[in-house]
Amino acid sequence: MLTTGFKLWFGLCVLMVVAAVFAGYTTGGTETGPISLGWKGGVGNHVVYTLLMLGAASMAVMGIVSQAFRDSEPEAAIELLGVDEVPEAQSTIGNSWWPVFAALGLSIVAVGLVVHAAVFVVGIIIVVAIGFEWTMTNWSEKASSDPELNSELRERLMRPIEIPLIGALGIGVIVLAVSRILLSSSALGAVWVATVVGVIIFGTAFYISKRPSISRGLIQSILFVGIAGILIAGVISAVIGERDFHHKGPHHDEKSHMDEKE
Amino acid sequence: MTTTDIAPDSVAVDGQQKHTFIERLVTSTSSLSIGKSWINTGLFYLISSSLLGFFLDIVRFDTDRYLIFSNVDTFFQFWSLNRTALVLLALIPIIIGLAMCVVPLQIGANSIIFPRAAAFGFWLWFLGAGITVFGFLADGGFGAPDSGSQQEAVALTLVGLLLVITGICMSVICLLTTIISGRCMGMSLRRIPLFSWTMIVSGTLWILTLPVLAANAVLTYVDLRGRSAIYFGSEDLIWEQISWVFTHPQIYVFVLPLIGIAYDIVPVATKIRQRNHDLVLILSGLFGVIGFGAYAQPFFDTPGTPVREEALYVVTAVLAVPFSLLLLAGVLETLRMGARNLTRHPPAPLVLSLLSLLLLVSGTIVGALRAIEPFELIDTTATTAQMKLTIGAGIVAAVAAMLWWGERIIGKKSKQGFGLIAGALIATGALLSGLTETINGFLGLDDFTKVNFLEKVSSESTAKVFIFFSFIGSFLFFVGSAIFLIVEFLRVRNGSESEVNPWGGHTLEWTEEVVTVSSERPLLDIEEKVGVDDV
Repeated sequence: MLTTGFKLWFGLCVLMVVAAVFAGYTTGGTETGPISLGWKGGVGNHVVYTLLMLGAASMAVMGIVSQAFRDSEPEAAIELLGVDEVPEAQSTIGNSWWPVFAALGLSIVAVGLVVHAAVFVVGIIIVVAIGFEWTMTNWSEKASSDPELNSELRERLMRPIEIPLIGALGIGVIVLAVSRILLSSSALGAVWVATVVGVIIFGTAFYISKRPSISRGLIQSILFVGIAGILIAGVISAVIGERDFHHKGPHHDEKSHMDEKE
Repeated sequence: MTTTDIAPDSVAVDGQQKHTFIERLVTSTSSLSIGKSWINTGLFYLISSSLLGFFLDIVRFDTDRYLIFSNVDTFFQFWSLNRTALVLLALIPIIIGLAMCVVPLQIGANSIIFPRAAAFGFWLWFLGAGITVFGFLADGGFGAPDSGSQQEAVALTLVGLLLVITGICMSVICLLTTIISGRCMGMSLRRIPLFSWTMIVSGTLWILTLPVLAANAVLTYVDLRGRSAIYFGSEDLIWEQISWVFTHPQIYVFVLPLIGIAYDIVPVATKIRQRNHDLVLILSGLFGVIGFGAYAQPFFDTPGTPVREEALYVVTAVLAVPFSLLLLAGVLETLRMGARNLTRHPPAPLVLSLLSLLLLVSGTIVGALRAIEPFELIDTTATTAQMKLTIGAGIVAAVAAMLWWGERIIGKKSKQGFGLIAGALIATGALLSGLTETINGFLGLDDFTKVNFLEKVSSESTAKVFIFFSFIGSFLFFVGSAIFLIVEFLRVRNGSESEVNPWGGHTLEWTEEVVTVSSERPLLDIEEKVGVDDV
């Protein structure tokens, strides 16, 4: 029995062959050239003809593979899964963060193309990371017929990678932001900023520890506001720039020596 | 096809996990939710672009005052933003949103196919639209860039446009796949409702033509950012490269689904079976084919043979008129036969879908006149007129569709009377602007392609009178859009719960039962339960 996949790929193959022959005749091909793959005469525009014929060959290979592996054949699926009837054709998919993050990554890539190479690289990293996560999610959803087992499988596989990486990335970003804040403040101001931020963190942690029944949403909100505040302040500080430092490096010493010689 | 058809169940977590409103909004993969996001954002851009169009017409009428536009270059930037936003950020998104919500229901699929890709398409378009608008506001846009910073802003606009196109194409691929491979048992392509059919035709043509627009953007981007070794000479003529999207024949492709909307609404509203269904399928398909406009790019004209004077361009422009008239005649015939079933107050969507078809016919007539060489209308305001009439037709049809299917999509009743007023105002505004711009075209007023445009306007007193009416038309268009937004907002906020099938519709989207696709030959279960004829 010919599978649906085979029919589609074979149809596309035929379409591309017809397109190639048509392109051949309309771009100066001889009478028998386009229909004999150039064996008996010219095929017209070589680039277009070759591309379309290569496309047709690819479609044919896909069709053969699809047929050989009985892709999308219900009986094969029943056999493989060991069930009595074929599962739902369109399974329900839950909410997912990957589409929005992937779009964000691609947008960062696009903006990075215009603005700065570093932004472009960050976008590429995000796209690759999200691509990997998305692939793993899709793979896990088809690992078995038990959704809970699939979900657990993904967690077991990905959490040991995700948690340390996201943690390290988060810490790195926060350290960078805090360092920008401290470097843009005056010497005394930096001490005050560090003291006030330290007291706020300590006070918040103390408050949370004293209320074990505090809601998860409130903790999330506190963390979100705190981290967003640090990041925004960090970006603003980075734009303002560092304060003036009285360097005591080699350059300064050289200058001093020269003064002394004079 | 492929393993998607036979995959085991995915994790059905929608009802199991509690999400906040923001989480649901951002992470949802339900076709209804994604569709609503498309519609809401499209409506936002519709209001913004119609307000901008109103301001632009004020400046055209009173050229001494630039209002928010500091000079003629800025005026041009916002003029081109207005067109881009109306088509790519308002009309197409609203239509895609409607299709996301309605098409899976119409064909008996329980969801859109590739739901995550559909969500990805929306977010890509959403972010791309933001970048495009930001590029315009940062002195970028589609004008010839002068300084380095302006070049960056223009480049930003172009990459934004690329993201917008990619997002639209991604979503359309999901829609087309759903219609082609997600149909229920017994529903051949000949039997699918006409809105879904016109989505196949227009979606296919969007996929065929929008990548060409993307290629235009890439070409310009390479010129802007590339080395001197690669230079196509397109960076100073960006608008000339992409303006083919907003005129004949391409403009028809964007509003093609309005035919499906009208043909789905009128037979149900008049309680008459649509006659010559196959003929409508063929005519709407042919109308789509003549709307293929990627070839009609004056930028790539070979010397001596301008594409807009070639036979294909003129013949398709003229053919569009009988096709649109025949499509209108089909609807009028159904209306005539079912007139006895109508009350004194016919449903608002019925009236609006007729108005949208009338606007389309007007647009095709102006398009045909514009293409006939002796009239010399090609570079005149007739171009604007054709765009306003055609896009107006699409927007009015979208209003009709929201009033018709909104009760099914949102589950709440809307104020049909106010919806009718909104749609009628948009239609009147588009018609008034379109007709006056056509007359101005005959008076020889240039479309905005030359720097001395505003000076020329101020010296033409007769043209100025008609510009005043065009300005009134733009105002009505804006007011109608604003009223429609308020109507939809009030529906979501205060609307009472609607019935499952308020119009007595006979297609699958009005059935109460959830259609479950459970085999390679879907709807076998439904067939056994209720009989395929009932479906």
